[in-house]
Amino acid sequence: MGFADALDSGKFIVTAEVSPPRGTDLLDILSEAGQLQGLVDAVNVTDNQRAMMRMSPLVLCHKLAETGFDTIMHMTCRDRNRLALQSDLLAAHALGIHNILAMSGDYPTMGDQPSSKPVFDLDSVQLLQLIEKMNSGFDFQDGPLDSPTSLCAGTVANPGARPLALQLLKLNKKVSAKARFIQTQAVFDAAVFNEFADAIKSIGIPIIAGIIPLRSARGARFMNDKIPGVNIPEDDIKRMETAADPVSEGLEIAAETIANIRPTCRGIHIMPIGGHGNTRRLLEICGLD
Amino acid sequence: MDEHMIITRLKPIEEILTMVGKFPASTICVVGCSICARKIQTGGETQVTSLAAQLSSHGLDMLDGKMVKHACSAKSWDELIEENPALAQADTLLVLSCGAGVSLLGRISGKPVLPGLNTTSIGGALANDTLEGVCVMCGECDVAIYAGLCPKSGCPKSQINGPCGGSSDGDCEVEGRKCIWVTIYEILECRGMLELLDDIKPPVCHDRRL
Repeated sequence: MGFADALDSGKFIVTAEVSPPRGTDLLDILSEAGQLQGLVDAVNVTDNQRAMMRMSPLVLCHKLAETGFDTIMHMTCRDRNRLALQSDLLAAHALGIHNILAMSGDYPTMGDQPSSKPVFDLDSVQLLQLIEKMNSGFDFQDGPLDSPTSLCAGTVANPGARPLALQLLKLNKKVSAKARFIQTQAVFDAAVFNEFADAIKSIGIPIIAGIIPLRSARGARFMNDKIPGVNIPEDDIKRMETAADPVSEGLEIAAETIANIRPTCRGIHIMPIGGHGNTRRLLEICGLD
Repeated sequence: MDEHMIITRLKPIEEILTMVGKFPASTICVVGCSICARKIQTGGETQVTSLAAQLSSHGLDMLDGKMVKHACSAKSWDELIEENPALAQADTLLVLSCGAGVSLLGRISGKPVLPGLNTTSIGGALANDTLEGVCVMCGECDVAIYAGLCPKSGCPKSQINGPCGGSSDGDCEVEGRKCIWVTIYEILECRGMLELLDDIKPPVCHDRRL
């Protein structure tokens, strides 16, 4: 069953994230992703994540599709104008990519190519509208396509961002623009997530919650300081500090978070720091393997 | 008070020296502009005199610096020379004005013009504050929807349908900036006009500016 079918089926969804290489060799990342075989409904591939230059996700998604994975290609509005976005959407369909995650993208000055021109020709709402249009056989200017795309489009949300009313303003537009699912920023505080899920319950869009297992107290403090909307509870940081085996403790904390949000979300998206070596273990603890 | 303001910044002296170095044996006149550049002190009398003195100390053949009324608006070169005869004697003009002023003086003077400033945005002046980047000259102004504030210029990502995911607690993900969407929202909420934000706004038509 592909990811889009899983969304429709009501099944609890598991996705996991990988990033393309900073070079030309795909062997390591394909072997890394290989650990996810049989564990996930789809693999997400990032698009110059945090504005750090990497290989195009089109290529890695294609290679993963060849090995049997369904993929969710991240597509930011930062680096391409509407011509290039349309080209890449056609290419994605042709390369066996079925799902797109539409997002604005981090600003270039946050990454390693800070002098880049920030494009932002479309925003994430307009990109979702564009995908819907291409799915119905037309380009941005209403010209007919020789053959339409068939892409399941989702988008992102940040449950911790405040004010919530502004988040909801954008989210409602994304849903009007036919987003089929939302994936969230990493969830550390189940109460904050559940409040968000409750606020958007009436919209009825499936929420896939982002999960980052903590690896150290220091890393947790770093994320609290540096990532907008991330708020790791002090109690969890203390647990990490006193744990004999911080990595295992981080997996336990993640599993507890998943258990606490499971009634309000449709799935989880695992984006570990430093590879998927423990992803199977985490899913085993959660009974999701 | 001037109602508009083109925001400029003085180029580093090393860059200016490299530019003038391409015109050896040239008599140079530094030209300031009495409108925006004077107001934000990038091309007023003080900056013109100081730059001329600096270049002179590097052994360049400098005339006394001159101010023009508006570098971006002139009837003719003859009229400018009438007001500032020294401009006619210069081989090269080093202009402390916005890009529009530099281009205009280049067109009408027939002389090489060198820009002494970098033009960064269109802004405004509020008492002693300079407001930078308040308009991107998109060619389809719709600030009425956004409480009079322009998200195309006020948001680094020009988000017109609501804030991006990097906005948190009123802060922009770009360091040192506030999220303009929070201000827009607060004003419209006060006015009871939040419904202005409900519709999905289409992308800018860039061909309208041609």
